[in-house]
Amino acid sequence: MAGPLAPTWTPDTSVEEESDLDRPWVTIVWNDPVNLMNYVTFVLQELFGYDEAKATELMLQVHHEGRAIVSSGPRERMEHDTSRLHAYGLWASYQKDS
Amino acid sequence: MKPFRARKGEIVARLDRAEAGIVGLLLDQLEQLLGADADDVAGDPVLERLFPPGHRSDREMAEDYRELAEESLRGGKADDLATVRATLPADGGEVRLDADQAGAWLRTSNDLRLALGTRLDITEDSEPPEEIADESDHQLAVYYWLTAVQGSLVDALVAGRAGRR
Repeated sequence: MAGPLAPTWTPDTSVEEESDLDRPWVTIVWNDPVNLMNYVTFVLQELFGYDEAKATELMLQVHHEGRAIVSSGPRERMEHDTSRLHAYGLWASYQKDS
Repeated sequence: MKPFRARKGEIVARLDRAEAGIVGLLLDQLEQLLGADADDVAGDPVLERLFPPGHRSDREMAEDYRELAEESLRGGKADDLATVRATLPADGGEVRLDADQAGAWLRTSNDLRLALGTRLDITEDSEPPEEIADESDHQLAVYYWLTAVQGSLVDALVAGRAGRR
């Protein structure tokens, strides 16, 4: 009920978890027949600091679905992440998040 | 071969003379490929696999990425290759690696597998050869041998990491 002391507007306190401006780009790892499953898991842990469960989940997603998003953020950082994955021979690319 | 394992903060394995010789030859071939004149190897599927496009559909962006990243990727591969060569017992014997050297072995052995796998058209359904009848059987056997080497190296690094916690 609006009384004389009620605020005329309510500040929006809900925070977008991932705003479009902050995270418009993604790095994707694609499935390939050579890279070993334990190798992919290991590399994802080394490069992104994921724990074993998270890295294994991403690896399995790559294996079963053909691709997985392994990081998101500004374009420059996705270029960098892609090159770090390429240094380990993972089949990676970056793109604007769809 | 004795596969890689973690031992007192080091990663160790033992290679037979013949195995060390094969690794040495593969390193030579990879080095030649990486050092080849760009015009001579344009479109080579192994190089395309080792230096994949950064962007899949936008050629301009893929070109930007190549300019940005390829030189340092090449430099990293050359450094890794030199580290593997320096730690490979030419006549066979023990391979003893610290963490950085093990990283170099990991990346280089993966590059060798990617190179062989591309040349041999490896798919998810490929299997080790049952007998060695020709050169491609031999290469396939080498590929699967490298797979075992690399798999043991990953396991040893994971075990070593667990040991440091």
